[in-house]
Amino acid sequence: MGERERIAVTGLGLVTSLGFGRERSFSRLCAGERGISEVSLFDSSGLKSRIAAEVRGLDVAAIAPHGEAADWSRSDALAFIASREALAQAAHVEGSPLGLAMGGTTGGMYETERALAAIAPGRGTPLDARRLLDFPLAVTVGRVARALGHVGPSATVCSACSSGAVAIALGASWLLAGRATRVLAGGVDGLCQLTFTGFNALGAVDPEPSRPFDESRAGLTLGEGAGCLVLELESSARARGAPIIAFLSGWAVASEAHHVTHPEPSGARAASVLMDAVLAAGLSTSQIDYVNAHGTGTIQNDAMEARALARVFPEDVGRVWVSSCKAQIGHTLGAAGAIEAAITALSVSRGLVPPTAGLERPEAKNLRHVRESHQAAPLRAALSSSFGFGGACAVLAFEAPSAERRLLSGKITGEIVISGAASYGPAGVLRGAASSRYFTAPATPQGESFDPLALLDPERSRRFGRASAIVVATAESALRDAGREGAGTGFVVGSAFGDVERSVRFLQKVLGQGPKFASPAEFPQLIASTGSGNASLYLGLTGPCLSVSEFGTSGQAAVSVAISLLELGLANAMLVGAAEARDPIVDAVLSEGGRVQRGEGGGFVVLEELTVALSRGRVPLAVVAEHHALRADAERAFASLPPPPSSSCIVTGFLPSPLVGVLNRSPWRAVRLCSLPAIVGQHEAIGATALAVAVAEVAAGGVEQALVVTADVDTVYLTRLCRYQAQA
Amino acid sequence: MDQSELKSRIKRALLEELDLRGRSEADIDDAAPLFGEGLGLDSLDALQLAMAIEERFGVSMPEGEASRAIFASVNAIAEHITRTKAAG
Repeated sequence: MGERERIAVTGLGLVTSLGFGRERSFSRLCAGERGISEVSLFDSSGLKSRIAAEVRGLDVAAIAPHGEAADWSRSDALAFIASREALAQAAHVEGSPLGLAMGGTTGGMYETERALAAIAPGRGTPLDARRLLDFPLAVTVGRVARALGHVGPSATVCSACSSGAVAIALGASWLLAGRATRVLAGGVDGLCQLTFTGFNALGAVDPEPSRPFDESRAGLTLGEGAGCLVLELESSARARGAPIIAFLSGWAVASEAHHVTHPEPSGARAASVLMDAVLAAGLSTSQIDYVNAHGTGTIQNDAMEARALARVFPEDVGRVWVSSCKAQIGHTLGAAGAIEAAITALSVSRGLVPPTAGLERPEAKNLRHVRESHQAAPLRAALSSSFGFGGACAVLAFEAPSAERRLLSGKITGEIVISGAASYGPAGVLRGAASSRYFTAPATPQGESFDPLALLDPERSRRFGRASAIVVATAESALRDAGREGAGTGFVVGSAFGDVERSVRFLQKVLGQGPKFASPAEFPQLIASTGSGNASLYLGLTGPCLSVSEFGTSGQAAVSVAISLLELGLANAMLVGAAEARDPIVDAVLSEGGRVQRGEGGGFVVLEELTVALSRGRVPLAVVAEHHALRADAERAFASLPPPPSSSCIVTGFLPSPLVGVLNRSPWRAVRLCSLPAIVGQHEAIGATALAVAVAEVAAGGVEQALVVTADVDTVYLTRLCRYQAQA
Repeated sequence: MDQSELKSRIKRALLEELDLRGRSEADIDDAAPLFGEGLGLDSLDALQLAMAIEERFGVSMPEGEASRAIFASVNAIAEHITRTKAAG
């Protein structure tokens, strides 16, 4: 074990229904005020619950940069306001290096719904269809980054209602690995009809403002907002004299693999994640003075959480303050983990515990609830917990700024290898070295008739869309190829647009027939983390399970995130990749009138440390020699590649022409190049297919080294794989 | 609509709405329990089924415990639909 520093929080930004800005939000929160009223953004008539914690007075046009107002979503604007506030407090100089990690679940869904409502049924034009793709989850990070003049790594993650907390853990990993010296991490979600009608359909919403932990609670109240934290190493903050608000000392991310919408009732899994966060922070439970609970107000969640807390604090649960902010600012879904992290940081910083508003008759009488108004109490350390759909748990541990300086035990990550791989393409699912056939075979006809669902157990894959079926079937093959089980394994899946056609069908029914015909069983299949949730449940994956959004490079972005999670020690192995299904709407827009041959497919690999693979008696398929996301520095990175051995290859996903020039100026210019889109068709997960094919070619003994190159508008990914050579 | 036609439509609704792939109408016994041990359905399925019955048969379902008895079997659902239609 190595040593690591604590992470200093040097800036906070908040937008909630209680107001713009951290001071307004926090002071009204402490005063017990509630920012909940009838939703005004759309018609809620006919629904059981018509209320929400809406951010009133949000003027997107006034926030967006000049000329971009029509393209900015409410989520973009919320994220930008919170980002700007956090960076200002941290005295961040615009244009200096910064990592950007954001969590969210629906991005610009509200704007997509407006576009959809404007299309006459059955009369949509290609222009209308293009508008439906203008607001995918990943655009927010891009827009905020450009508006901030951002330089550095960026990522958009979704793990349902723990997304914001996972983004913060990811940001911490970048600092510890030296990928960034300062990180803006947070979460954002705007209200939309998809989630509003979906949670109504699930019967999970209370017609009255939610009452977390109350005997009479009857569901959650949805909300919207954004929360952002500026993070840097303690030494960096101290060296530049930046005031430290709190320390982010520990984190834990894991999955229950229990049910798509219900938490595991005993609270045992949640308790182990809470405990892991305490231990990762180098603390004991006796030092935790406050838990900012997930506390949604649903029957199941709050009962589970009370049991989990009793397990974590078996001796002194009555000593620990517990409250939930959701009765005042609603459940902000993908933003909740970040908003509540910011609130928890303010709580330990100021020694103020916000209340659980509306709590009159606590169900769990053993807990030390804070009611009506805030409680002033010195807090040494506090936990902020998030428990999302599909059992996606994340817990962050914060310490007061006065906490004595100390180093914590950290992880030293060894060489990372690929111990299993599989691809999905025209030939169906190909495991391990079998994918090398795409490297040598001439073009094969696209297997339109192939049914990925036929590969899965019908009972356990009920309601999977084609996209989920491809993801889970391919991932399962890679996991088996590595000889691993789901327990202790995490999962990261890249996603570009999600299941557009299915979301549109759900919304058209809501818009056409009325909100009471929103399908409760469909809804959980339509959020950005559907693929990872389904995989976690089907394969029993208990490590961190999440999706990463990027456009044509989502598989490579997922690999970057998976490596970071391995470096944090959050899993023994990561199953990672991307896969896309044919989608009539996406294909209509991106085939450019038939000029681009579209396909479907993807690939998954299992990443683990060499020592872990060897200890299981596995010979790695390939060693990951390097993996980079490049922006302006692509030319230099390619030029500085080591010369290729005599037997090597390049496998490419999407390769824009300027990049061909860059490759031609690199030491690898004479190496044989395999362009996959020409063989399997173009799709957004093509880079993941390229990775699986390159691994297969190395594993099959065809080459000693393989370079995987794929790009998008502004990001180039370069992965260099080497054949594993056993030490003599 | 006679009872056998109604039960057949209920079974089609079950198969389609609950995505019971690989099963047919013949696999569903009119009297067998649908939830728990029977078809192994859960509360999410119950919500979906309630919405589908309203959409397909124009009959709304009561919430909570009262729906439990109606969802006991295909026979019980058919009886609820017939009774509600007759009353309406």
